[in-house]
Amino acid sequence: MLAINEILFNIQELLGDNAQIKKFFLGKATIVINAKSIKDVVARLVKNDSTLGLSAITGIDLDKTIGLLYHLRTSEGIVTIKTEVSKGKPIISSITNIIPGANFHEREAADLFGIIFKDHPNLKRLVLPDNWPNDLYPLRKDANLEDISKSRDNFSYKIDGSQSQEDSLVNIIVGPQHPALLEPEKFSLKVDGEIVKYVEPRIGYVHRGVEKAAEKKTYLQDVYLVERICGICNACHASAFVESVEKILGTQVPDRGKYIRTVILELNRLHSHLLLLGHAGLEIGYETLFQYLWRDREPVMDLTEMLTGNRVIASSLTIGGVRRDIKETHIPIIKKQMIYLRERMIFYKDLFENEPSIKLRTKNVGVLSTQDAIKLCVVGPVARASGVPIDVRKDDPYEAYGEIPFKLVTRNDGDAYSRLMVRLEELFESINIIDYAIDNLPKGPYRIKVPRVVSAGEVVNRVEAPRGELLYYLKSNGSAYPERVKVRTPTFSNIPAFQKTIIGENMADVPANIVSLDPCFSCTDR
Amino acid sequence: MRSITTWARIKSPWVIHFNSGACNGCDIEVIALLTPRYDVERFGIKLAPSPRHADVLLTTGVVTAQCAERLKRIYDQMPEPKFVVAIGACACSGGVFKGNYSVVGGVENIIPVNIYIPGCPPKPEAIIDGVVKLLNSLKEA
Repeated sequence: MLAINEILFNIQELLGDNAQIKKFFLGKATIVINAKSIKDVVARLVKNDSTLGLSAITGIDLDKTIGLLYHLRTSEGIVTIKTEVSKGKPIISSITNIIPGANFHEREAADLFGIIFKDHPNLKRLVLPDNWPNDLYPLRKDANLEDISKSRDNFSYKIDGSQSQEDSLVNIIVGPQHPALLEPEKFSLKVDGEIVKYVEPRIGYVHRGVEKAAEKKTYLQDVYLVERICGICNACHASAFVESVEKILGTQVPDRGKYIRTVILELNRLHSHLLLLGHAGLEIGYETLFQYLWRDREPVMDLTEMLTGNRVIASSLTIGGVRRDIKETHIPIIKKQMIYLRERMIFYKDLFENEPSIKLRTKNVGVLSTQDAIKLCVVGPVARASGVPIDVRKDDPYEAYGEIPFKLVTRNDGDAYSRLMVRLEELFESINIIDYAIDNLPKGPYRIKVPRVVSAGEVVNRVEAPRGELLYYLKSNGSAYPERVKVRTPTFSNIPAFQKTIIGENMADVPANIVSLDPCFSCTDR
Repeated sequence: MRSITTWARIKSPWVIHFNSGACNGCDIEVIALLTPRYDVERFGIKLAPSPRHADVLLTTGVVTAQCAERLKRIYDQMPEPKFVVAIGACACSGGVFKGNYSVVGGVENIIPVNIYIPGCPPKPEAIIDGVVKLLNSLKEA
């Protein structure tokens, strides 16, 4: 593993004076380079640090040019490489050959900013609708989106299940509406008998243009907007956004506020993991497990309602702290429910370890090796189940996670069973974290007043959502509205794992496989 | 004959759920309806796997440009008489996403809606209340 200084030294050796280095800016360091040398720089870094992954590619309209920020995940934190391409001729080399995980990030930037990535294997439309005009890029500041509603009211039923003539493979289209999918997404599978040979996910059915909408709302309004990116991990989105604003403002949230935030974030994780494990039960044909787990998810929803006022969208976190305090009368109720949940988790752990039907459907299904997990830049429980020990709560502590002891759960098999077990064991850790936070709740205020106007600045912030690392890039220009809000959700990073784990597997294992990766397309598409 | 079909329709409405661009908040509340605490199967409500088997379409979320065509297609596939329930602020009016570039708006812009259930997301009790109101209106008609 390389220290940041070594990485910077390597780049300076390669480029000399052509690289400008700013330390402790946008992560641990920012390196400004010429667009031509992006491929060489990334190749050099990957050669030196085999654990290097790409977190996100942020595009940003810089008036005359388009800026591209490559947020790289090193073992020490985020390092950003910044480069610019001209608006008239936005061409840059693709880095997908070096880091396969860059594939979808580049396709997204191509869609939203019109950047042409040279040598990209498959630069097709990813998030924008099919009837979107070809030369309009919504996140450019000069994009004229006024008349867009007129150009898209042409309904035409397209037949997309057509059989290709060239090969003997059978095309199977799953979605957008399918009983096994809770969300509208389309997977085009090609099968040879029972074995899947090829899969092409088409995302973008839930693309609502949140990043553009966030530029038209004030910072406080944006907190409520970003929560509605995803109803499942809403508190994590709010936490990532308010922390970004607080970092630009230089605000210190009171300790009590931090601990209350941690409790709400962990309740969010509890409900998300229980939901997923129940859904997995449904997909593997074990409906009793689904009903049991969702019944035991209700106490978590009750606690969220008691602490925040709403069952699902918490709207509890705000810039400068939280909106509601945890009262003395709440504490015994939380403690009682944690005792109940821990008891139930012991029961489920026993069930998952000893029930043959679960193992038959998930063991050795969809194996993702450690090397592949690093190469494809997957995050969260998917990465941890393949033996990659990354967790933002440990690597880059935020809120009160730096002060609360908890265990990082990893497994080495990388199959669907490990992915489910990692989540199950994380439930125990979440319960412990909530218990610890409640026992050690500091006294004092839970919220401080912050200035309404956010000074100019830019920041990269990440939190650990239930599905993995959630990265926000926020740029403020000193006005009432943010200049750019970039959201890179964990599920977006995990899409490459779909292709890797499904190809070569049995068709009947596809639902169990997809659900073990915990897709959430409202996050993915934004 | 007609009274028998109306009776069957009220006592056992089969529903289909379609997410046309929701944040999952309403969706998890719709799924929660099927689980032990709320258990809508006691009203005979059952989730149908295909639109061709369904009487009631539960829609959640704002309608995105990419989903609009599919929502219309699912509605067209359902047999008559059919009913549409718009669940959540986004499905009712577009909610927080109204006016975004890849969003068409509320469900009513694409297909006719019978019952609107507001909330972000509505509580499962509210959804049950909405569906029961729909069934009562069938009884009166």
